[in-house]
Amino acid sequence: MRPLRIKLPRLAHKKFINLLMLARVEGWLLMIESLFMLIPCIIALVYEPESSIPFFIVAGITGGIGALMTMIRPKSKEMGRREAILLTGLTWVVLSLFGMLPFIVYGTHLSVTDAFFETMSGFTTTGATVLYSFADVPKSILLWRCLIQWFGGLGILLFTLAVVPMLNSSGGLLLFNAEVTGITHDKLRPRVSATAKGLWLVYIVLTVILVVLLSFSDMDFFNALCYGMSTMSTGGFSTSEAGISQYNTIYVKSVMVVFMFLGGVNLSLIYNAISGKVMNIFRNTVFKAYVGFVVIGYLLITADVIIEGLNETIEDVTISPLFQTVSMLSSTGISAPGFKSWGPLSLVVILTLMFVGACAGSTSGGAKIDRFIVLFKFIKNEFYKIMHPSAVTTVILNGRGTNPAVIRKTLAFLFLYILVIIIGGTVISLFGIPLGDSLFCSLQAVSNMGMATDTTGINGDYSLMPTFVKWLLSFLMLVGRLEIFTVILVFTPGFWRH
Amino acid sequence: MKIVIAGAGEVGRHLAKMLSKENQDITLLDRDQKRLDVIDSNYNLMTWNGSSYSFQSLKDVAISDADLFIAVTPYETDNILSCSIAKKLGAAKTVARIDNSEFIIQKNSRILKELGVDFMIYPENLAANEIAKCLSHNWARYWGELHDGNLLLIGVKVYGNSLLLNTKIKDLPVTTHDFHIAAIKRHNETIIPNGNDEILSDDIVYFITTPPYIEKVRELCAKTRRLIHDVIILGGSRIARRFARLYHDKFHIKILDNDMEKCEKMATELPPDCEIVYGDGRDIEVLRENSIYRYDAFMALTGSSETNILACMTAKEFGVPKTVADVENLQFMDLAENMNIGTTINKKLLASSHIYKILIDSDQSNSRFLTLADADVAEILVQEGAKITKKPVSQLKLPFGMTLAALIRNDNVSLISGDTRINPGDYVVVFSLQGTLEKIEKWFN
Repeated sequence: MRPLRIKLPRLAHKKFINLLMLARVEGWLLMIESLFMLIPCIIALVYEPESSIPFFIVAGITGGIGALMTMIRPKSKEMGRREAILLTGLTWVVLSLFGMLPFIVYGTHLSVTDAFFETMSGFTTTGATVLYSFADVPKSILLWRCLIQWFGGLGILLFTLAVVPMLNSSGGLLLFNAEVTGITHDKLRPRVSATAKGLWLVYIVLTVILVVLLSFSDMDFFNALCYGMSTMSTGGFSTSEAGISQYNTIYVKSVMVVFMFLGGVNLSLIYNAISGKVMNIFRNTVFKAYVGFVVIGYLLITADVIIEGLNETIEDVTISPLFQTVSMLSSTGISAPGFKSWGPLSLVVILTLMFVGACAGSTSGGAKIDRFIVLFKFIKNEFYKIMHPSAVTTVILNGRGTNPAVIRKTLAFLFLYILVIIIGGTVISLFGIPLGDSLFCSLQAVSNMGMATDTTGINGDYSLMPTFVKWLLSFLMLVGRLEIFTVILVFTPGFWRH
Repeated sequence: MKIVIAGAGEVGRHLAKMLSKENQDITLLDRDQKRLDVIDSNYNLMTWNGSSYSFQSLKDVAISDADLFIAVTPYETDNILSCSIAKKLGAAKTVARIDNSEFIIQKNSRILKELGVDFMIYPENLAANEIAKCLSHNWARYWGELHDGNLLLIGVKVYGNSLLLNTKIKDLPVTTHDFHIAAIKRHNETIIPNGNDEILSDDIVYFITTPPYIEKVRELCAKTRRLIHDVIILGGSRIARRFARLYHDKFHIKILDNDMEKCEKMATELPPDCEIVYGDGRDIEVLRENSIYRYDAFMALTGSSETNILACMTAKEFGVPKTVADVENLQFMDLAENMNIGTTINKKLLASSHIYKILIDSDQSNSRFLTLADADVAEILVQEGAKITKKPVSQLKLPFGMTLAALIRNDNVSLISGDTRINPGDYVVVFSLQGTLEKIEKWFN
């Protein structure tokens, strides 16, 4: 039978931006966030029942507003590229705005600026904090900080894609592309929701294993849960001023090294390995380079430790430098105790590692190893072409030739990445912060690291930063997490033109 | 359902997009990464760069779990080989696109089935049959047959002295329930009408009826039946040749082509009662020389949609009553329909709706849907205790935007009227606007 074509004039009536649909999806997201808020509520009921009520109220408000927004019935459910990009950026901001409410209602010493900074730092798995004292912070808040890291680590929208069937469409796919890191985006399964479910499954399983392993150490379950989520998402929030150093056992460090390392691996690679394609891992160029970076970083830092004469125990040349290397490369930002006394070589290595970052498609930050491989292979080809002008060369990544468009995009990305760091650092320095520290902060924020210097806070935190700088850093964190283009594009005039 | 489509050509891409919108698991396989790039980043499906008859590629796309394997690369031998391999590797059903009429002969297709090709689609053959159907029901704009022709969906453009015009549907001068007005297309809008809607001049009205009442519908629309005998075809394309082979004894066929070699080839290969003329059909002089105004139908079947549309308009100027254009650019189809070109043919849509039918037939779920652009025709199985079985149809408060068209009870097709009572186990054919099916389904479960 000939297909019947009764066509509605869809193109002519299409709105410039389908705002109602955006609002509806945001509603779903807020409801999901309110469900996440219930987890610390339960913890609060167990540990400090009196503080659970405000948390329940916040969860109720968030869920209620979300539910109201999902009542909106847009005329068209279609989402185009413009909606997807706007929604991605908007979601992270909106969820941070609601996610900061627990920090405010708890009467902690956080202002709106500080609370927003803390939340954005959590969602983007930066791990920079404005809390300099943990003494009066309730356990539920500590858990909430780690939970938003864990939620944001793999991706807020990715979680939504897995659970909201309405987004299992082309529009959802555009969201997937806008949020997941990397040059190209691997799909595990044909349907985007199945892909999202697969990735979240791997993530949840790994986190559970990590929490169980950590609770075998001298950590109690609460801390194991917090550190588990914080490590797996390569975020780096801790539960006390002392951080990880109070659990200074080789066991804890080894477990965390392994899981920080896994946090930096492309999750779809782990998914494939679990589903039987183990050999894929060893054929993967990016994974090999990742291991290479870890080995070289470890050797250089160990060498520096020995040069500086700091090798007092066997730990100082084994697990500590390794912990530091993996923590930096995976953009976790939990530092090994005593690393500040290490020499200048270590500092250079650490800065390089945090700039490079781990594999694309992982929870880590940084510019991603994939892009540097493309860049270096491309540069190698260019050198070769000077000597052999008519040679035809391609960049081969994971056994497949790379499209010239991908190379162009990579080069543009890396240029923009560096530009954002420099501009960010320069603006911060205008507020009286030394230029070196400013650039360091800017790099930290963009690569989602979260370590601090002495000028920024009291105890490795950001509490002393001026208000404007905190907002700027929050923005930079988002720019870094969504890999520059998605956020910056919204601020270009071309985005708003027909 | 898990579906693997090999070949990201026009048919492959169209199918992939359409089926992906229907929430199927689609993997699109092609050797050319460039063809996959655009579709990969915009549609909810997976693409894989590899050959359709490579064992490794087929294993990579998990062919052993696939419910359906569709090979639509440009080469039929590749398609048959890929289907054969896919079947052996565990695909449940396979479909190959072919362009050789030998394969669809019953006894040959059995041999192919043994090779692992379950179904074959031959787009040129589908197109040729479709054209023939249009020519024999030339008073209708659209002619669709459901249930082996026991239920008909007929679209007619009404104007002039039709009895239907300017009266409310409930006041129409008919007493029996021989047909339903399922939908009205007015300008660019689709209406699922109720009793208070009116039919205006130049509307396209879609009727659902059963074969005995076809003539009644035609009379109501004030259409005359014209017997088509002399047909002139522009362009010796594959569709044209297939049409000539199939229907040379039914119609008197003249084919115009501006490629001498092609003309000579056609003259040798096609049945001798077809006239082959060398000449550029875009040239009015050539058309006049061939006394185009004498013909009953003009069909433009060249490879260029633009040429086809314009040639048909020229033919209309000459007073040819029926024109058919092959429009392969989907974007041009609406345009062509608005320009009053009688019938437009699109191989891609034909092939994909044919595959869609195969898919529906092999799907075991209760409801079978046939999504047709913006309107849906669904055939829904009525469950035990469903809301719709509670009262006769006229007393149900059914939602707007839907028509209960027909009832299939024990393979007997009948139309639904106000006092029809629907029983569990019946199949109901529902006509609705796209996107409202979910609401409608609630009534049946």
